[in-house]
Amino acid sequence: MASKSDPSRLELSCSSENDTTGCSRSLRSSRVAEEQKKRGEAGESFQSALSYFSRVKAGTPWRSNDVLERHLAAVERVALSQGLPPEAVSILLEFSLSLRMGYVISTRVLKFLVPASTVPQEAVLRGISWLCVDKMPMSMQVLFIRWVITMFDLIDSKDKLRAVYGFIFSFVTQETMCPYICHLLYLLTRKENVRLHRVRKLLELQGKMGRQPFLLHLLSLYKIFCPDLVIVSMPARMKSGFRNHNSTWKSALAAVQRSSRSKLWSDLQLSTGVHQRPAARKRKLNGCISIPPVSSTLHSSSRPPSSRVFPLEQLRTFPQLLENLHQIELPAQMGSMLGSSLALHFLDCMRDSCAFLRLNYWLGSTLHEEFLFHKDTVAQDAPEVIQFLDTLISVQHFLQEGFTATELFLYKFLRVWDGSLLRPQVLGLLSDIPVVPCSRIKPCLFEPLMQLFFTSSLFFKCSVVECLNSMLQKWLTWHSVYAFEDELDISVTSQTPLNMTLSGLMDSVMALVQFVGRISTIGLQLEQYHPLLLNFTLDFYETVSDMFLKYGMPLVVLPPAGVFYPALHATEPVSVDKLCHIMYRYRTNLISAKSQEQDEKKPIEISRKTYCQFNHYVVSMVSCLWNSRAFQAGTGLEVGADVLSRSRVPEHWARFSLIHHPAFLAYAIDFHQNCWPEKMTMDLGSIKGKYWDWFVEFLFCQDFHGLKEFVQSSMNRRTSAQGSKQNSNRSQEDAVAS
Amino acid sequence: MEAQKSATMTPRTNVASGRRSLGFEKTNLRYTPGQLTALRIPTSRRKPNTRNDIDPEQLAYIANIEWKLSYVTPLYKFRHTQLVLYSKQLSAFIVAEKQKGIAVEVGPEMGFKVVFSVVLGMTETDEDAETVFIKICSKPAFAVEGSAVKVVWSGWFTCVNGNLDYMRSLPSDFVSLPLFCTNGPESITALVKSWFTRMFDCYFGPLSLNSSILQWLGALWTECHPASNIRYLKLAWNLPTLPPLDISYTVHPQDAWNLWSSIRQNDSMEDGISIEEVRRFMKGLESHFFRHFRMHLSAGMLTRICTSLGSAHCDGTIKITGTQYITPVLMLLTECAQLKMPI
Repeated sequence: MASKSDPSRLELSCSSENDTTGCSRSLRSSRVAEEQKKRGEAGESFQSALSYFSRVKAGTPWRSNDVLERHLAAVERVALSQGLPPEAVSILLEFSLSLRMGYVISTRVLKFLVPASTVPQEAVLRGISWLCVDKMPMSMQVLFIRWVITMFDLIDSKDKLRAVYGFIFSFVTQETMCPYICHLLYLLTRKENVRLHRVRKLLELQGKMGRQPFLLHLLSLYKIFCPDLVIVSMPARMKSGFRNHNSTWKSALAAVQRSSRSKLWSDLQLSTGVHQRPAARKRKLNGCISIPPVSSTLHSSSRPPSSRVFPLEQLRTFPQLLENLHQIELPAQMGSMLGSSLALHFLDCMRDSCAFLRLNYWLGSTLHEEFLFHKDTVAQDAPEVIQFLDTLISVQHFLQEGFTATELFLYKFLRVWDGSLLRPQVLGLLSDIPVVPCSRIKPCLFEPLMQLFFTSSLFFKCSVVECLNSMLQKWLTWHSVYAFEDELDISVTSQTPLNMTLSGLMDSVMALVQFVGRISTIGLQLEQYHPLLLNFTLDFYETVSDMFLKYGMPLVVLPPAGVFYPALHATEPVSVDKLCHIMYRYRTNLISAKSQEQDEKKPIEISRKTYCQFNHYVVSMVSCLWNSRAFQAGTGLEVGADVLSRSRVPEHWARFSLIHHPAFLAYAIDFHQNCWPEKMTMDLGSIKGKYWDWFVEFLFCQDFHGLKEFVQSSMNRRTSAQGSKQNSNRSQEDAVAS
Repeated sequence: MEAQKSATMTPRTNVASGRRSLGFEKTNLRYTPGQLTALRIPTSRRKPNTRNDIDPEQLAYIANIEWKLSYVTPLYKFRHTQLVLYSKQLSAFIVAEKQKGIAVEVGPEMGFKVVFSVVLGMTETDEDAETVFIKICSKPAFAVEGSAVKVVWSGWFTCVNGNLDYMRSLPSDFVSLPLFCTNGPESITALVKSWFTRMFDCYFGPLSLNSSILQWLGALWTECHPASNIRYLKLAWNLPTLPPLDISYTVHPQDAWNLWSSIRQNDSMEDGISIEEVRRFMKGLESHFFRHFRMHLSAGMLTRICTSLGSAHCDGTIKITGTQYITPVLMLLTECAQLKMPI
């Protein structure tokens, strides 16, 4: 107990160990080493200060004594930051009360005497004996007794103190000391301490000093123990108890205990995953946003006596969890389970709907109180709020689904959210919401999101698209995981909104994809086709393109023209490459859907129009990148001849071919310089024939895997022999027959 | 568009062949029964009628005291049959909590006596749980025989005419008593709440009364005027000027009644009051004020409403004097509390 609750000593031994081994480890960063060195130094100075105070001779002058000053400062720092270990308390108390260096220093030492864990009884006993020597000035005596009263609960045992009860009692006659001595006696008194002569003494004092509350309190205690000895009547109502605690000591003590407790908890957390922190009391009263500690239920009577239960709070290791899986008793507050990773494992395999209802009530109320009902929004982005939401997000990720309470809260919160408060957390939670039925998805999700989307910055737009991408991935994953579990009973789920048919789910997914299509089309326009937003949008379509093969969702939705063409004509190669990859995935999915339809005779209704649109896009890509026939009739994107001529771009049909495309221009130049290093003039048009093939190979080597996939799958290149014209390199657009 | 059609037209062969679409077992359990119940503020209410079936002695504990209002989520495993046990546990809990920590104040007055009791008959429907009243008395060590015990704190949980759909959707282990009224030191309130939180896994939050609720109360009390004189109708507004302006507005009861009955006469609803009537009543009062002082009261916030039957403040305190009309007031407050339920 003593060694464990003695952080300073522990730390000392730790740091000295580290110092010896530390130098051998070269990997350790210098900052850590320095910190430890500093700490080691501090520990050293603390130890030398202690030895100084235990050895210093009486009568040593204290004025302009630098050594004393330094040691005092060292001890005070330790005392107020982490508290003093028991033996330091003994040394300093002895030093102080013996008045070896005079009254001023003694008082100063006494004032910062904050124990870290316990106060040895012997030290207090010696203090009492110093009191009996009667050398101390009165104020010092009072200070000491008040110190004892304040630290009373920390004294390791009280038997010897009770043995000197009579000595302590003798001080009641001193008028200044009397209130404090009465308080101390009140704390010490046992039945055997109540004697007739003491009662008489107190009554005599009462006669002298009047009915003082401290005397009354002590007498009333005597009367409770021995009603026959104290025959005077007590007033039915007395003023409240003793008020002799020193608030400075009390608050210093509280601070020290708080820091040591958090240290203790962080140790526990490492070993068991119990995640707790002592919540600030004040915040707690105001309905603080924090996870309650795990504690066992108080309904002890409702439990049948024969059944063996294992309280969750005793759970420390994973094997323990496995052994007791069927006996684990739910905690008093379900919310507390979110704070412990072991409890989360248990939560994951729990089947008790009442328990989840309790959890949801707690979670929902906490979120509502903090973000919706709370009027004086002082600090909603305070660290504890962020920590709470981060914990919630990680819990939901662990369980791989969102809580109902979070979902319902988000629907309300989205309407009042400014889009910036705790953005990562809110969007993180939003991406976890389960599939929303198609009928509710628009008012609950799309309308508030759309408003925020169009009125916020580029980065917000990006994060919304990213969030919706992650939401879609989760919906699809749920589908792919649960759609094949045959044995589960559908009727169990009949009351939940998630009891949706496949077509209901597809409607929701469809709605989500179309929604992203709409907002990204307009969003891209608003942001002048910013590469960042384009990239996030393409990420979304990367998920969409693979819905059929990767997630088993019989649905193929192509990007709208407002996303497709900006990506095709983008100035950065990444976007074009990604678009190529997406088109390749679409092609693979469509082909596989088609073959599945033919093989299994299982109707997968992917509409003809989807195929047409896909082919249309491919034609347009091929004619643009490969055939240098952009903007012409039958190539997908048609632009009127008069508009093109007004643009005065020469050979406009070739401007987006691989060699002239703004995304690949730099590569073309690079390639040109490599091919004809001696040529002084740049003629990109000379990249044709075999050079064209080489250039394409060159691009593939630049990690344009998407382009490679697209070219190899969608273009039926006649492996042209030497010197064939570029035209002969005719590619055929993909033949995914409609 | 086309694709959407294709999605909706997907035949359910997959489901029929044993493939579950999406009703995952786990998610089912994380869904909760109450969640789809849409709670709304009703647009009409019954006319207040007098009640005599509540024990007057128990009513006396409730009347004439200013109560601070809170809402509370349904109590898990609360049993009306175990109140004696709860009394013991709560008093032990309070004493233990008071002595927690280091250097706590000591003194002889540490004992508390807690009494849980049921106020029978304070319900409207069979689904309403009976009201639970809690009284905490200090227990002095040297009490004189026969002297009255001092009640240091009291509080009660109630549910009058709670939303039926909501309550029926709750599993049987939960008891819905959404309205919690307290009177006494904040420290004891906090202790009682924390005991309930740990014991019944519930959540307490403050319940403030918005303007619309205060208006309803004003109308309900005015409606009672012919049966029992309301003596005055006092309203208080806070106008968001700089500096803020507090306006107190007292109406002669007869004038208030005349205004109210003129509005009522036009309406055909016999035993109900509609929100429209309440709005018109307030509008009438406000326009009268405007005629005299040229100030739009509707720009401010109604903070207080007060008659001889009771008073209510927007920060969530209420005092009921006319106990014969207690039920409609509690119905209103129960609704308010239920609207705060997160799911």
